Amino acid sequence: MIRYSLRRVPSGVLVLAVASVLVFAVLRLAPGDPAVVLAGPDAPPETVAKVRAQLGLSDSLPAQYAHWLKGLLTGDLGHSYILGAPIGKLIGHGLGATLELTLGALVLAVLIGGAAGIGAAVPRNRQVRALANGFTSLAGAVPPYVTGVLLVLLFAVTVRLLPAGGRVPILSDPGIGWQYLIMPALCLALPVAAVLARFLAASIRRVRDEDYVRTAVAKGIAPRRILVRHVLPNALPPVVTVLGIQVGQLLGGAIVVEAIFAWPGVGQLLLQGVLGRDYLLTQDLLLLAVAVFVVLQTLTDLVQAALDPRRRLEGR
Amino acid sequence: MTTHIPRRGFLGALGLGAAALALPGCSSAVDKASTGTGGKKVLTIVQGADIAPATLFGQNNPNFSINRTVFNTLTEYDHRTLRPQPGLAESWQVKGNAVTLKLRSDVTFHTGRPFTADDVLFALENLKRPEVASQLKHVAQAVAKAEKNGDHEVTITFAHPVGNAFDLFEIMIIPDRETIRELAAGTKIIGTGPFKVDSYTPGTGVTLSKNPKYFKPVKLDGVEIKVISQSTSMVAALRSGQAHLALDLAPLDAAGLKGDSGFQVVVSDANDSVFYVGSNVTVKPLDDKRVRQAVAYAVDRNRILSQVLGGIGKASSLPWAPSSPAYDAAKAGTYSYNTAKAKELLAQAGASGAKIDLFYNAGLGTNAKIAEIVQFNLKEAGLNVSAVPLQAPDFQAKLTGGGIGGLFVNGHGFGQLSPATLVKGAFPFNAEKNASKFTDGTYRSLADELWQKPGAPVYGKVNDFLLDQQFVSDLVASAHTFTISTKVKGLAYTMFDYLNLDGADLA
Repeated sequence: MIRYSLRRVPSGVLVLAVASVLVFAVLRLAPGDPAVVLAGPDAPPETVAKVRAQLGLSDSLPAQYAHWLKGLLTGDLGHSYILGAPIGKLIGHGLGATLELTLGALVLAVLIGGAAGIGAAVPRNRQVRALANGFTSLAGAVPPYVTGVLLVLLFAVTVRLLPAGGRVPILSDPGIGWQYLIMPALCLALPVAAVLARFLAASIRRVRDEDYVRTAVAKGIAPRRILVRHVLPNALPPVVTVLGIQVGQLLGGAIVVEAIFAWPGVGQLLLQGVLGRDYLLTQDLLLLAVAVFVVLQTLTDLVQAALDPRRRLEGR
Repeated sequence: MTTHIPRRGFLGALGLGAAALALPGCSSAVDKASTGTGGKKVLTIVQGADIAPATLFGQNNPNFSINRTVFNTLTEYDHRTLRPQPGLAESWQVKGNAVTLKLRSDVTFHTGRPFTADDVLFALENLKRPEVASQLKHVAQAVAKAEKNGDHEVTITFAHPVGNAFDLFEIMIIPDRETIRELAAGTKIIGTGPFKVDSYTPGTGVTLSKNPKYFKPVKLDGVEIKVISQSTSMVAALRSGQAHLALDLAPLDAAGLKGDSGFQVVVSDANDSVFYVGSNVTVKPLDDKRVRQAVAYAVDRNRILSQVLGGIGKASSLPWAPSSPAYDAAKAGTYSYNTAKAKELLAQAGASGAKIDLFYNAGLGTNAKIAEIVQFNLKEAGLNVSAVPLQAPDFQAKLTGGGIGGLFVNGHGFGQLSPATLVKGAFPFNAEKNASKFTDGTYRSLADELWQKPGAPVYGKVNDFLLDQQFVSDLVASAHTFTISTKVKGLAYTMFDYLNLDGADLA
């Protein structure tokens, strides 16, 4: 297993290196100037030029890239142009919030998606299947910004049961923290749950037609035992692959959800960075996102290898 | 007879019961957010963008919540008379080109260091630094000599007569000179104001607590400033009781709360949020002033006022707010919606059917909606207008660098106080260099006259000149808004719309 994991390291490093060049270049190609944003409204061109020089943006592009890379390799992420604060500290503040939101959403997505997937594929009752299918269609069709606004209107404005936005870290005060987390996490989880449910239902249907399942049925084994011991373990690997990809979607969707619920995560920070042309902040965050994605893909491979030993033997 | 209870039903009921028991056991986040902690009076403010400490020395909207709560300025205008009132300066004397300010002696910075004349001299020098942006920088640069007469008196002598010195004294916050480097980075925000910064989390918000050594009694225990980028989410925070005050809601959201008895929309009487269409006068056919006048006639200002700004403001062809001494009610109505007149002027200039690009900052919803109306109206008048939405940094860079190749929709301020501040400090109107690339000797002379010898005769001449040249066609003079819960009492703001919470309280 360790050798299997180590084989994935060079490709991960290569992906990060290519991503760093792309991220740096694409941001510089986008029109706009952080010095203009930093100088504020009504700033004359002379002030903007002075600010640009101060930020180091008058240096050549290769020099700027080398400076950034050197900083990354020595653990110095630099300072945000617009916010002034060290980027490491900014990411530290936001990352915890985004991870909390993403993990909360992931748990909800797995629970809801799992239940809906099983509900759509297993029961003989047609109404239950229709309900599960209807839910997946609705959850997949309604975008998070609509769900978010509806949830806020219903539970924060009309009923006043949950806070409209903000965050109290769940680890510092679980009793209050979950009340802040539940709406944004649900909003983020629903589209992912819909995808998981569809894949899980399709996978269960496929596995149920396998010979070993028919044999189990013929032997008179209880349906629940067949589902838990024989169908689900074999139906899950493709769903885990989808889940790995969907986690990336969760991180992307967090940008919108964080804006609706004033959730102070890195999604908001990234948006602020892009809109302010805060190059260093945006570069660091995008590269972090690529790194997270690489790690997630590796983890997905590892989970699949654990579930299916044949994967570990591939490429030997 | 025994009743059979299904196992699933029993377990489900058990789960629901446990949840029902657990939920009331948790304290409510909603109650906690709306009542504050420990019975303290903490005002919660929500605003759309994060504070920008590097731009604290000029007027920048996201800083409205901290300019005057964490800092003080030397003087503050009375809104009705526009006469300066004491701030950190308790009295002053104007003699020729010199102003002598007597400073309060009972003021300390949040670090405990006493405020002295040296801090005023430092603030002036700081404003002159090239990398420090301020719309009133030209006034600081006109200071020929600034000297202290003891610890609590300064004399500022200008190189020539200056009509807007008190605009400078109203906008210039007095920072702590010992932490000025940290101020720009936002790591130490130290002032003399009624509240001190306990924590600042960039992108999230600021926590302020009462300054116990403030020179006036303060009723609030603290202020919580939260950044919520969506206007609708700010409304939700207000409606759910999580926030008491929202700065600059989207105009239609503010208008939607006007009839609600739980809220009050305070419309700033500074009226310094003016929307306009600018013209790059080096681009054909906008180099012909008849075309620019046609643009001014073509736009339906009242439609913009009602459909985009929710009725907050007043249609006007002049850049001044009604409070300005240069405001002329009769001339403010010079250009009104007249498509026939616009067509006539375009025909005279041979520009009917001409192709023109219309640029706007797509990140500002209000500007985008105004641009749609402007585009429609100009097409009605016979111009072939293409809308060009740009992201904020791109738009700003093009505006500052003169790269906008046509018309542009934007907003400006600085029409509410001394007229010189607009023509010398606001970039759209700056007589030396402006967004429209409009350079004209007469305009420069008028701007200098306005600065050095302000008075009714020159106000009339400037108004006529601006109305004739139309390199900036003003549309609607709107205003910044403070939407407050009725629990908020004693809210005040300066003529630059800086929140003043000296006397604010929560019922």
